[in-house]
Amino acid sequence: MRWLFPFLAAVALTIAVMTAAPRAAAPEDELPEGEGKKILVASCTSCHDLSEVTKFRGYYDRSQWRDIVVTMMDYGAPVNEKQVDVLADYLAEHLGKPQGAR
Amino acid sequence: MNTAIGRRLLLSALLLTVSSAVTAQVRIVQTNSQGDNIHLIDPATNTIAGEIKGVPINHGAAALPDGSLFFFSSEAEQTLHVVDGKSLQTTKKIPLTGRPNNISISKDGARVYVGIVSSPGAVDVIDTKTLERVKSIPMKGGIHNVYVTPDGKYLVAGSIAGRLMTVVDQKTDEPLWTLFEEGVRPMTFEVNPDGSTRRIFVQLSEVHGFAIVDFHQRKEVGRITLPNDVPAEKVDKGPFNASPSHGIGVAPDGKTLWVTSRPNARVYTYSLPDLRLLPNPVDLGGRPDWVTFTPDSKLIYITTENTDLVHAIDVASRKEVAQIKVGKSPKRNITAVIR
Repeated sequence: MRWLFPFLAAVALTIAVMTAAPRAAAPEDELPEGEGKKILVASCTSCHDLSEVTKFRGYYDRSQWRDIVVTMMDYGAPVNEKQVDVLADYLAEHLGKPQGAR
Repeated sequence: MNTAIGRRLLLSALLLTVSSAVTAQVRIVQTNSQGDNIHLIDPATNTIAGEIKGVPINHGAAALPDGSLFFFSSEAEQTLHVVDGKSLQTTKKIPLTGRPNNISISKDGARVYVGIVSSPGAVDVIDTKTLERVKSIPMKGGIHNVYVTPDGKYLVAGSIAGRLMTVVDQKTDEPLWTLFEEGVRPMTFEVNPDGSTRRIFVQLSEVHGFAIVDFHQRKEVGRITLPNDVPAEKVDKGPFNASPSHGIGVAPDGKTLWVTSRPNARVYTYSLPDLRLLPNPVDLGGRPDWVTFTPDSKLIYITTENTDLVHAIDVASRKEVAQIKVGKSPKRNITAVIR
């Protein structure tokens, strides 16, 4: 019977964790790790929250994402030429327009 | 006989004027920059009087002078939505040449101008009769905001990337002069007694205040920095999109200039034409953005984008009279009169 208390405690803890109110995911939490994310966080968040990027989720293809990256560089974002395509690839892969969408 | 007919005609015209004045509805049109909806606020009650849906990542707003059509740029779709003023439904989406930012409408309502922020930058011109894009005016740098001067004679386009303001002849669509070597943000216009443009008050990247441009001289004649009158521990550290002051407007009666401060979460008021700072700035409790007034200059509406609120402020007393909850990250707003 001594095993019963730890078992019940573990069950209670599991239920408590599962039923706790979920924390609202921050935009950076929604994005998978990768070189693109590193550039995104390093280059964009000094000017604006990442929600200004994630709000376009599902709307842009790669060329449109690239256009945004270039526009932001014109605004002064510290992204170098080598990083442009890495970032465009990352944004297109994780926030891009779904395949087949028009 | 002729006198009697004349009297009747005069009476009819008077009744028509009174009737249209009575039935005209003022609406504050509030975009939501991270949503797909737009709210219409009734300034008589400071409540939501309507909602337009299905304009993803909406940016700029404009309305025909009679309010029968609204226009909204969608950054997500790269289109201009045409929305019926009564049904509040999108009736047409006009493809644009790139990603749009803010928009403006000519004084006669014949053309909508859309700032295209995608490189190399342009102003797309939409005919409001045919609802087609009829032209694209090339610009040096992506266009963030585009305005029509109050006399309707000029377009003024601001570029952040191009770091300049361009004044364009509205009749010929030809650029006339440019100014600045800094990112150009929102601006507002002061007029002469004859309605022509006297000064432009221009917000610039990284400037906590505004520049004063003499329109006739075509040059900057001064710059005003907003006060640092908030205790350091209460100053918002941002980020502010490189634009600590991003909301500015001259009241329609031309008596005051209102300028927002993101770090101070306040709006400051200056008397015109002397640009004297008036006491009692209004605390807004969030990062303020765009401003618009009721046509009678009695109320100003200011968005705070990080609290999803629009603040209604009494212009005369500089006291907040209402807070209206709107959509996600409200920014650009305009005042429309629906007749």
